[in-house]
Amino acid sequence: MSIMDQNGGSVIAMVGKDCVAIASDLRLGNQALGVSSNFQKIFPVTDRIYLGLPGLATDVTTLKERFRFRVNMYTIKEEREIEPETFAHLVSSTLYEHRFGPYFCEPVMAGLSKTPSGGYKPFIAATDLIGCLNFAKDFVVAGTASEKLFGVAEGLWEPDLEPEDLFETISQTLMNAVDRDAYSGWGCVVHVLTKDKVITRTLKGRMD
Amino acid sequence: MASADGGAYSYSLTVFSPSGKLVQIEHALAAVAGGTTSLGIKASNGIVIATEKKSSSILIDDSMIDKVAVVCPNIGIVYSGMGPDFRVLIAKARKSAQAYWKMYGEYPPTRVLTQEIATVMQQATQSGGVRPYGVSLLVAGWDITRGPTLYQVDPSGSFWAWKASAIGKNMINAKTFLEKRYNDDISLEDAIHTALLTLKEGFEGQMTEKTIEIGVITVPTTAELEEGKIGGETGRPKPTFRKLTEEEVRDYLAL
Amino acid sequence: MNSLVDRFSTTSAQSEIRRAQALAADDEEFSDAAWGSEAGFGSLAKGVPTFSVPSIADPSAFLRLHTDDHADPNCRIKIQHGTTTLAFRFKGGVIVAVDSRATAGSYIASGTVKKVIEINPYLLGTMAGGAADCQYWETYLGIHCRLHELRNRERISVSAASKYLSNLVYGYKGMGLSMGTMICGWDKTRCRVPAVFYVDSDGTRLKGDLFSVGSGSTHAYVSTAAGHRDAFSGNTCNLYHIKEDGWHFIGNYDISKMHYDGPGDVPGGPGKGYGYDIRVEGRSSANPPPVAT
Repeated sequence: MSIMDQNGGSVIAMVGKDCVAIASDLRLGNQALGVSSNFQKIFPVTDRIYLGLPGLATDVTTLKERFRFRVNMYTIKEEREIEPETFAHLVSSTLYEHRFGPYFCEPVMAGLSKTPSGGYKPFIAATDLIGCLNFAKDFVVAGTASEKLFGVAEGLWEPDLEPEDLFETISQTLMNAVDRDAYSGWGCVVHVLTKDKVITRTLKGRMD
Repeated sequence: MASADGGAYSYSLTVFSPSGKLVQIEHALAAVAGGTTSLGIKASNGIVIATEKKSSSILIDDSMIDKVAVVCPNIGIVYSGMGPDFRVLIAKARKSAQAYWKMYGEYPPTRVLTQEIATVMQQATQSGGVRPYGVSLLVAGWDITRGPTLYQVDPSGSFWAWKASAIGKNMINAKTFLEKRYNDDISLEDAIHTALLTLKEGFEGQMTEKTIEIGVITVPTTAELEEGKIGGETGRPKPTFRKLTEEEVRDYLAL
Repeated sequence: MNSLVDRFSTTSAQSEIRRAQALAADDEEFSDAAWGSEAGFGSLAKGVPTFSVPSIADPSAFLRLHTDDHADPNCRIKIQHGTTTLAFRFKGGVIVAVDSRATAGSYIASGTVKKVIEINPYLLGTMAGGAADCQYWETYLGIHCRLHELRNRERISVSAASKYLSNLVYGYKGMGLSMGTMICGWDKTRCRVPAVFYVDSDGTRLKGDLFSVGSGSTHAYVSTAAGHRDAFSGNTCNLYHIKEDGWHFIGNYDISKMHYDGPGDVPGGPGKGYGYDIRVEGRSSANPPPVAT
């Protein structure tokens, strides 16, 4: 029994046309026993960056606070909002600081980064528990249902999806993947980031 | 009493005088004022920093002296005052820039690096067993949020942003000269010439490519930025700060 | 030391294997055709089925090494585990309820497994633990129940059938069998009462009024709770009622649907769900909070 599977939970992020989406399940378990159906694993970092933290629940909350601290310090010191790429590096550095006693979390990030000409570019990234960065162009997954998520996402994702289509794709991917995972599920939450708004929806899922 | 850190005798050397002044800092500023003149000018499309390089003997190989230092690809610094103190500060600044890169995957904005150096310099005014740094710095850099910026840092650890400034021996005259010549839409080429003219004012001896050092910030175009932060060939960011070669300096002097 | 004792002992696992191997070797006498429809699976010509056993010192350790994902999560073969099964006796017979989830590690391999084995028209066996072990041995039990009928012109009692099974699995004790089952039925000939027996691969056999077996068993005393709370139980519920005339299949219910909507039009039932709305009100765009006035 891996400590990464102790509490269960999964996160996925996808790129669309001028938008990104990030979604997670809501289960918190103690091994096979489901405890909560309202455990948030995705946190807003800025208006344009969302961070998903699947893994050991105690480390999820600790890391959330750690990143909040570091991003606030960055914002105050530099008098600017952190960019998604920079934040990804911050996540990676923070995790590698604990190389020999890691946090049992595999962060997934989704954001829109400013381009020099003033536009916004979709950005997603994920790291392993010691901070190895993976900048994917299509989708990233993590958590106990990651293998299943890879399979379904590989089949459903296509390039340049509009926000509503991206919402449907990421929702279907997550819902169907977690239905095949014993440790994930119990409802989902989906965020779609566009340049002028964030759409957040909670979905009913199988409760078994 | 005889403890490892010096115990009760390890007072800071910088102690307030009854009038509220820190005399050590004033002495440090005097050391700066005795140093060779350096200046910086912010132009519409870049920044120039320049200094005169004087050697005490003709036997010194002055091509090996660096008074304008590259800290990281987007930041350069010039100084007036004590060379060895500058060397130590540059080593710290470079280390800080690399540490920032290691944490965030990009080089620090000019303001952040300047603040970092200023903090180091401030600490020397409040710590036991040390003296203030005997240098003033002109920090020129470019970053995506604030564009080209020019900062001056003093031995006290205070720093300001300037459109143009001068430090060192002839700073009063040089500043007056710059005030007359400066305007907001000066081009980088014009700024380089103004810099050379300003230095010439108080220059003793011949101004040559051997006795002048120049560093420039060139603001990248939007198209260059759109191409991406990573240079294709080297996989490194394209530098926005560079030092002019002796040939380039000679060409500017000839004009 | 032990290996030396094992080699010459007549009662050790090794000698059991040697005996089994000798029996297996006898199969050479039969042509391949004998394994077809005539002789077929479970040919009783030799009384007991035989199994090929790996030729190593400790076969159960070998099996555990390669199949037990609790001892080693990285083992390549994951035997399907995890279940909720429930059976109880009452005035009107026996009710049997099981879930339909099969998991291999954390993977939900199937959501439509039949965990009630219909041994014959008046005997039901439930399935928990190793799916293959339960399926095989309970079917095998069915064969012997029929043979009992033919020999004795009388239906086998639930007690006898369960004892047959427990004796059978006891013979394989320590070899890695994994099953926890409930043999349920209505005795026609002797006691004329409904009966439930719990039998597991340790050899335990218990008579009782109410049993719950499987990873979700501790939650199972509240019907849908097991499917809800236990990660290794869920999907659908198969419900059986055993009456005097044998078992009747009542239906297949989606546990998630029951969680949201309740069991439906069951007489006397609350008709409401598990309390989902109360727990999650205002959290879902599908379930907005009441508008503040």
